[in-house]
Amino acid sequence: MNRAFHRILQVLAAAALLATLPAAAQQFALERDSPLYAEPRLDSTQVTQLKQGAGGEVVGKQGAWINVKTTAGSGWLFSFNVRFQARGDTGDTGGSAESRGLGSRERVRITSTIGIRGLEEEDLKQASFNAAQMKLLDGYVATKEAAEERARGAGLASEKVEYLGTKP
Amino acid sequence: MICNAWIAAVALVAVVGHAGAASIDIGRIFDIGRDVADATKGMDEKDEIAVGREVTGRLLGAAVLVADPELQAYVNSVGRWVASQTERPDLPWHFGVIDSPSINAFAAPGGYVLITRGLYDILDSEAQLAGVLGHEIGHIVQRHHITVMQKSAALSAGARIAQRDGRSAIVNQLIGTGAEVFARGLDKSAEFEADRVGVVLAARAGYNPYGLVEVLHKLAARTGDDASLALLFKTHPHPGERLNQLGDAVTPRVPTLPTGKEPAIRQVSADVPPPAASRPVPTAGTRALQEDSATARSSGKSGGGIGIDPAGVLRGIFGR
Repeated sequence: MNRAFHRILQVLAAAALLATLPAAAQQFALERDSPLYAEPRLDSTQVTQLKQGAGGEVVGKQGAWINVKTTAGSGWLFSFNVRFQARGDTGDTGGSAESRGLGSRERVRITSTIGIRGLEEEDLKQASFNAAQMKLLDGYVATKEAAEERARGAGLASEKVEYLGTKP
Repeated sequence: MICNAWIAAVALVAVVGHAGAASIDIGRIFDIGRDVADATKGMDEKDEIAVGREVTGRLLGAAVLVADPELQAYVNSVGRWVASQTERPDLPWHFGVIDSPSINAFAAPGGYVLITRGLYDILDSEAQLAGVLGHEIGHIVQRHHITVMQKSAALSAGARIAQRDGRSAIVNQLIGTGAEVFARGLDKSAEFEADRVGVVLAARAGYNPYGLVEVLHKLAARTGDDASLALLFKTHPHPGERLNQLGDAVTPRVPTLPTGKEPAIRQVSADVPPPAASRPVPTAGTRALQEDSATARSSGKSGGGIGIDPAGVLRGIFGR
């Protein structure tokens, strides 16, 4: 009885350990030579300069920045300068900070899309006006006021932001 | 992409004369004796909406809306909120998720935006959705389709020649190979601009401005032979190139862009089956796609049997 209980505890402990193992880290490769910054800011001190093709693991993100671990050190990279490697697995591993936003939310569909033909030019070429679907689409329209109310409910507020290419 | 969609859409409305577009003053748009560039200047908002409606109705003839009313209402709420941050907040904005495993999004003049289920499924946050919709909204707000036509000197020259043979010849010229190649060249800059607009609109709406960037990273990480991306890669600059362009534009503004929020994205209802594979189930008002497709292909005609090539009608845009 006591042994059995002990055994159960062992199994539970093993299960707990498995559950806490980190998800497979997102890998990246640098698209161009880039400074590795100590902080996610362009005016931050630089840990080192990394060369195009250098890679490592993503451990977090913040705005335009990704927090990475490389053999040359840890720090922050401007995310536009990196490219992420396609995950070989078929699913998300639970939405860890680093995979959220950078990896894939798809769980099993990657393999199932192979060989499936999606929407292609030929489909568009053949299609004709679908009045019933247009009616449906019309029915889903949100008013400006309703959309604003929902946004407020989600904690969103308008910000004044100039278009890129103009002075902030 | 929108540009091509627009051009061919004008052609469709002009020639097919669908009831949904009956309010367009075709004579004003395609006034014989005026070249196409001039004609587009006379296109007002009402025309844009009518043409956009026609284009959208045709796209829905190729892929129906996902049967999840709450999802559709949600996407309309998010899209309408983002669109409200633009200079054209009062267009009749429509948003929809269409049932296709392809990864793409489409915009048509006048405020119509459709996103595929395939693209929706890879989004992780409402900020990413806002970025994608912001890109599409950008095409519409910036009137890229019209700009392309106005800038297209080659197009208007061709149209002038075609005028000798009547309106249908103009239509053919509009979507002919030469014009399409020309329009494609301009498409690229329109895509880059829409990316820049998408980032800003998401930020204005209170979202993390980099949602669109994250989606571009996801697309860049996918291989070129991914079937779900076939149309997208065919009609757009490579996502890596878009990231480079966008990065250059964003860099000077990184310190001042707001942090924004990343609300969770609504999941597609569990009751809704995965995206339909290839062909939609024909519904009322839709010509059965299977029927006489061979004939249509061999004749190179579609719709009302007009000699146009709607392959350029609805290029995926994500996005266009």
